[in-house]
Amino acid sequence: MIFRPFKSEWIKLRRRRLWYGSYGAIAGVVVMTTVVRIAGATHRVGSSGNLTLTQLARAGGLAQGVTGSTILLGAVSLSIAAAQFGGEFAHGTLRNLLVREPRRARLIVGNGLAILSFIVGAVAAATVVDIGAAFVMAHARGVTTAAWTSGTGMGDLGIAVGDMAIAVCGFAIVGMILGILLKSSVIAIATGLAVLLPVETIFTDAVPETARWLPGHLLEAVAQGGTSVAGFAAALVTVSAYLAGAVAVTLLVFARRDVTS
Amino acid sequence: MPLLAHASCGPRMPESCAVVTTGLTKRFGHRVAVDSLDLAIPEGSISGFVGPNGAGKTTTIRMLLGLMRPTAGSGTVLGYPLSQYKSYLAKVGALIEGPTFHPALSGWDNLAVLARLGGIASARIAEVLDRVGLGDRGHDPTRTYSLGMRQRLGIAAAMLPDPALLVLDEPTNGLDPHGIAEIRAMLRSFADEGRTVFVSSHLLTEIQQVCEHLVVIEGGHLVFQGSVAQLLASRAPELAVRTESPDDVDRLVALVRRHGHAATVSGRGAEATVTVSASCGWAGELNRLAMAEGMTLVHIAERHSTLEEAFFEITGSCTEESRERRTQAVHTETSDPPKVEEHTR
Repeated sequence: MIFRPFKSEWIKLRRRRLWYGSYGAIAGVVVMTTVVRIAGATHRVGSSGNLTLTQLARAGGLAQGVTGSTILLGAVSLSIAAAQFGGEFAHGTLRNLLVREPRRARLIVGNGLAILSFIVGAVAAATVVDIGAAFVMAHARGVTTAAWTSGTGMGDLGIAVGDMAIAVCGFAIVGMILGILLKSSVIAIATGLAVLLPVETIFTDAVPETARWLPGHLLEAVAQGGTSVAGFAAALVTVSAYLAGAVAVTLLVFARRDVTS
Repeated sequence: MPLLAHASCGPRMPESCAVVTTGLTKRFGHRVAVDSLDLAIPEGSISGFVGPNGAGKTTTIRMLLGLMRPTAGSGTVLGYPLSQYKSYLAKVGALIEGPTFHPALSGWDNLAVLARLGGIASARIAEVLDRVGLGDRGHDPTRTYSLGMRQRLGIAAAMLPDPALLVLDEPTNGLDPHGIAEIRAMLRSFADEGRTVFVSSHLLTEIQQVCEHLVVIEGGHLVFQGSVAQLLASRAPELAVRTESPDDVDRLVALVRRHGHAATVSGRGAEATVTVSASCGWAGELNRLAMAEGMTLVHIAERHSTLEEAFFEITGSCTEESRERRTQAVHTETSDPPKVEEHTR
C-alpha cells in the first residue's frame, strides 16, 4: 500500500521544471567538481592540496567528481526534499492528500521513498554525465584513463556512487523531517543548510572531536567512504541511528498533529 | 443562556443520518472552537452549514475528516465512528477551505495525484473533469485557471471516489452569479444521485435556494438545526402595508400599536412601508380599522422572512424572548413537531 503514495508522489516529481532543475543542478555540481579537480591537478605534490595528475590516473580517479561534491549535493538534496514536503503545507494540499490517504505514516513513507528514488536517480544520471566530462578533461590534461575503465576503476566508481547515494539520501531525509516539522519549505531549507553548514563548522572549528558526532560531518564521511575523523562504518551506524530516531519522532508528531494548513 | 434547537434528522427526512455527532468539542489551549456540537445530517439531503466567521465550521469539518482530533465528544460518519475515519474516508469527498492544488501541475495531474493515492481508476479523472465542465482544460496548468475553474476542479477532486458523502467548505467563494448558479445546479444533481451533500457557505441566499436542511453554529455552539422551512416558519409573521397617502403613515403606525401590534416604518414618502408584526389573518381587520379612520391602504402583503434575516436574528441581535417565540412557533406551526433539545451557551 506504500506503493500508492509512492506512485502519487512521482506525478509531482516528474514535472519538467523540477526534473530539469534538480537533475541539472546535481549533474552541474558533480561535473563542475570534476572539471575543477582535473583542471587544477598538478604535476607533483604541492602545498595547494590539489590532486596530482598521477593520482588522477589511478583507478579511483574517475570518482573524484562524485566524492568531491558531497556538501553541494547534500545541500541540493536537502532542499529538494524540504521543498516537496514543506510545499504540501504551503500549498494547502496536504489536507487533500490526507483525505485520500488518512494513514499518515504510510503517506509520509511512500512519498519519502519516491523523493529518495528521485534523488538517487539524479545522482546516477549525474554520474553518467560526469564520466563523459571526466574523460574529456582527462584527454585535455593528458591523464591516462586506462585504470579508470579497469575492473578496479569501475568498482571504485560504483562504491563511490553508492556511498554518495547513501549520503544524499541522508541529507534528503533531514530535509523531509524539517519540511514536515517546520511546515514551510523556506524555513526548512534555511534551517537545514544553516545547521549542516555554518553551525556544524563552528562546532568542529572549536572542538574538532565533535565531527564524529555531528550529522552533516557524518554524512560527508559516509559519502567519502570514511574520513580520518570518522570511519565509514562508524559514521554510517551513528548517522543511521540519528535518522532513525528523528524519523520515528517525526512520524509520531505528524500522526498526532492537527492539520490546520 | 439556553438555546433551543432541533437535533434530529427531521420528520420528513430519511430515518438514517449520514453524519451524527454528540458533544463534539475542540479546544485550542483555552479557546473553545467547537463546543458540544450535536449534529444530525440526514442521509441523501443537501445540508447547509452556516455561521459567522470563526464560528467553528471549518474546525468541525476537519474533525469529521480526521484532520483534527476532537478534544471531546463522539459521532459517526456513514455509520462508522469518528475514530475510524480511515474506514469511511474512502466514501467521502471533500473540498476544505477552498480549492488547493499544485500550481505547476495540470488539473488532470492534480486529480491523478489524488486518484493514485486513493486507489481510484484513472478513467474516473476524465469523468469528473467532464462532470464539472473542465474536460477541455484538464491538461492546462492549474495556475492558469480562474477562481471559478479552481472551485470546479476542487469539486471534481471531491467527486473522484464516487462519494456517498460530499463535504464542501465554501464552494462558491469568489464566484460570479453565473458560477454560483452552476455550483448550485451541481449540488442539486449530486443530491439527486442519492449522495449526502454537507455544504458550508456564507452566501445565505444560495443556501436557502439549494438546501433543505440547515445547521447554524455560532461561537462553536449549535444555534439551529432542522429544515430551512422550519427556521423560516419560526420567525414571527409580518405584514407589509402601504397607505395611499404618505401623510397617513404615522396615523397607521399609531393605529396598529393601539391594537397591540408592533409596527416599524421603512422608506420615505410614497415608498414608505409599514411593517406590522401580525399574521395575514389580521390583514382584513387592519384594512377595516384603517378604512374606519379614513385611511386607504393600497398594499397589504404577508412578508416572507429570508434566511439572511433569520440568520442574523439567531446569531446576532435576537433576544431571549424572540428566541422563545421562535421556538414556540416551531411547535405550533409544524404539523409534526420536531424533537427539541436544550443547549447551554
